Formats: sequence, structure tokens, C-alpha cells
Amino acid sequence: MESVEEAAGIRAPRRARYIRTILLELERIHSHLLWLGIAGHIIGFDTVLMQSWRMREPVMWAAEKITGNRKTYGQNLIGGVRRDIEKELIPELFPMLDTLEQQWKKVLDAIAGDTTLKARLEGVGILPADKARDLCVVGPTVRGSDIPIDSRVDHPYAAYDELVPRVITFTGCDNWARVLVRMHETFESIRLIREGLKNLPDGPILTQVEETPPPGREGMIVVEAPRGEAIHYVITGSDYRPYRWRVRAPTYQQLQALPSMIQHATVADVPITLGSMDPCFSCTERLEVIDVKTHKVKVYSNEEILNISRRKYGRG
Amino acid sequence: MFRSKIKEAIICLEAGRVTLAYPFAPAFIPKGFRGLPSVDINRCVGCGGCASVCPSSLVEIVDEPDRTTITRYFERCIYCGRCADVCPEMAIEMTERFETATNDIRDLHVVHHIYMATCSRCGRCFSSQTPLDPPDYRSFKGTRLNRLGVEST
Ligand code: SF4
Ligand code: SF4
Repeated sequence: MESVEEAAGIRAPRRARYIRTILLELERIHSHLLWLGIAGHIIGFDTVLMQSWRMREPVMWAAEKITGNRKTYGQNLIGGVRRDIEKELIPELFPMLDTLEQQWKKVLDAIAGDTTLKARLEGVGILPADKARDLCVVGPTVRGSDIPIDSRVDHPYAAYDELVPRVITFTGCDNWARVLVRMHETFESIRLIREGLKNLPDGPILTQVEETPPPGREGMIVVEAPRGEAIHYVITGSDYRPYRWRVRAPTYQQLQALPSMIQHATVADVPITLGSMDPCFSCTERLEVIDVKTHKVKVYSNEEILNISRRKYGRG
Repeated sequence: MFRSKIKEAIICLEAGRVTLAYPFAPAFIPKGFRGLPSVDINRCVGCGGCASVCPSSLVEIVDEPDRTTITRYFERCIYCGRCADVCPEMAIEMTERFETATNDIRDLHVVHHIYMATCSRCGRCFSSQTPLDPPDYRSFKGTRLNRLGVEST
């Protein structure tokens, strides 16, 4: 959205930018909570899966109350946001954040002394800082290797120029450091939401877009998604459609670091090392079909993929 | 080691029972929830606004001489509510329905026919009161049909 706004030279009103920030941080909280659960599940510690997902549920409800849906918020529009955070809702959100913060502190306190957990995580999946820099790793993975990269601070968008997050880094370079980064980032997000809600400015939530941007304008935005930076690049086209829209999701870069992280590791450590960068394979999928017998490689064109999926849906 | 195990046990015990009775009891649905859109076709004027904003492009509008057929393939709906926001006649409402799983995808297809008449002054289409109130074909000029390259009758 913001890349289109940049291309069109629009700036969303301040209130809208605050609402965006609050939602982005809610998103980060629930993503990190979900991730801790999954990481626990991978190493066979299902208690943490159950507990962190239980704590996550009120966050999802809060998002549902604000936007009308748990996950597909559908909140951003070019020039602002669709739904306002209503006045009556704000007092409900603070107790939710307080409870979450208390519970999360307890979890951190409990797992920090858990030697079983540390045996599985500490010193496993080492990614030294220079290697991480060479491979252009992003997000919590690189912050666990003591490199303070965070596009919320480096290239502020939404209201991050006013609500400045503290960049959390740990020096361990291992899976445990990445756990700690995410756990502490959750506290940071809770703080940002609180501050955002307290200082929520008045005003409109949507600017009227007077004219559509002419074709050929470019816009690019870097957004710190919970997994790392996501880049959106847009070239405007005619007929209200983009000419080109390229998304670079963070997992693809992260995966480049995997071979060096799992070097000399035991097989049992591979899943958690992969899990420690919170991979999203649907963001990374590139399709190439190789016939095993003839070793022929076939690359499908856009048209062919469309036709296959249409046939599958019984249309066309 | 034991201390942290005990702490972990306390976290679990403190939580108590949190499982919801759903699906045996209805799920809690907050105010402003966006579920499956429902269309009050009596209000629809066939303007096509919903088709042009729908991010999933699931609304298909076909103009025929005397009527407009609107087909919605709701299996692709993401419940965003853009169509409800944009509809000038407030014909679309976001319901609280979200349990739409089905064995037959056709259950989610909704087809509407609107019988269109043309304004004898400006020649633009509007929906006639009832299908029994026949549109006047002879004045089909300068309508959407012509723009689509269809010869007027
Ligand atoms: S709710 Fe969104 S996806 Fe569903 S029909 Fe309306 S505009 Fe399309
Ligand atoms: S926007 Fe409303 S009036 Fe227009 S076609 Fe869609 S449902 Fe009908």
C-alpha cells in the first residue's frame, strides 16, 4: 500500500498511520507467540505450544474486534485505513496487553532456566555475524547474531518515525539467541501498542485520492514483517492497475544461511535450526518441474499455471 | 532445572480450562465481524461496483439485452467487505456466517438475474420494478451493450 502511496505522492493521515502501526505490532506479537509454540513443538516441548497459543488467542480477538477479522484484516487502503479504532474499544485493549505482558514474563522466566530446552537450543545453528552480513540475512535471525538491522528504525514507515522501537539484539548467534530476540521483541511491541493507543491523534483516517497516478511512476517500501524485511516494489500502469508489482518476502534470504547453520549438526538439530528463522515456504515457492526419468526441466508459464488451476476448479 | 519445570507447571495450572465449547455452542462473534456477504438483490441496480472493487474478482457480470446476470463465486471470497462498502444501494451486507464448508463447490455460487430497462431519456440501463414489467428494447441505444460491441435490437 505504502509503495503505491509513494508512487502517487500521497501520505496517509497521522491517525491512519498510528492505526497501521498498532495493527502491525499486534501482528508481530501474535506471529512471535505462534512461532514460539511451533519452535517448542519441533523440539518436542508441546507445553509451550499449548500455552503460547492460549496467550495468543486474546490478541487475535483484539484484532478481530478492531478490523472485523482475525487474520485477513483488509484494513489498509491507498491513502489510509478502512476502520477506525473505536473509543469504547481502547479501554478493553489495555487489560489485554497487561495480562499478556505478565504471562509472557512468566514464560520467559520459566524457560530461561530450563536446562533441557537450553541443551537443545544453545550453541546449535550457529550463524556468525560476518556470515550473516555476507548472506544478507534479515529480521530476528540476524538480530540474534548481534547485527542491529530493523527496517522500522532504518527506513521508518507508518508511524514508526514517532513511535520508535528499540532494536533488540543478542550476541549468541545460535537458536537460543533467536528465541530471546523474539521474546523480547514481543515486550517491545506491547510497549509500542500502549504508546500508540495513548497518543492516538485525532483526525481523519483516509485522505481522499484526487487523481490516479500516471503510468510509469515507481514506488518502493521496506516493511519489517515479523519474519524480517519484506520489500514491495510497484510500477504504476494504466487502467488503475499496476504495471509491475514485485514482492520480496524475507524467507528466501534466510534460507541461504541454512547450509552454513546446519554444517556439522546432527540430523535432529536440523528442524529446529530451520524453524528458528521462522520460514514461510509459501512465500518462497518457485516452481520448476523436473522429470526424474529424463532429467528434463520444464518451466511453466503464467498462462499454463492459470489454465491448470482453472481446470482444477472446474472452470474454463 | 526443577525450579523452571515447576514454574512451567504453574503457568499451565493457572490457565485452568480454556477450551471453548464450540462447535457445540455458538462461537463468540464480535460486533463488526465480517462474514459471508449476503446480497439483497431487490435493491441491486446492476451497477457493477462490487465487481470492480472485489479483490478476488469473484463477481461476474454479464449484460444481456433485457437483463443482467450477476454470478458470484463465493468460494473465493476473503470476507473483506469492499463490496459492501462500495455498493451505492446498500444491497450488500456482511453477515455473521463463516461456516461455509461444503462438499459441492456449487453451493457457494450465487446467480442473480436483474431485468433491466432503459431510460427513454438518457438511454442508460436501470433495473425494472419486476421481471413482469418488461423493458423496452426499442430504446436500447447508447447503453453498456453498445460499448461492449453488441448490436442493439
Ligand atoms: S467480501 Fe470482498 S472478496 Fe468477498 S465478494 Fe465482497 S469484495 Fe469480493
Ligand atoms: S455494487 Fe450493489 S448495486 Fe452495484 S452491482 Fe453490486 S450489488 Fe448491485
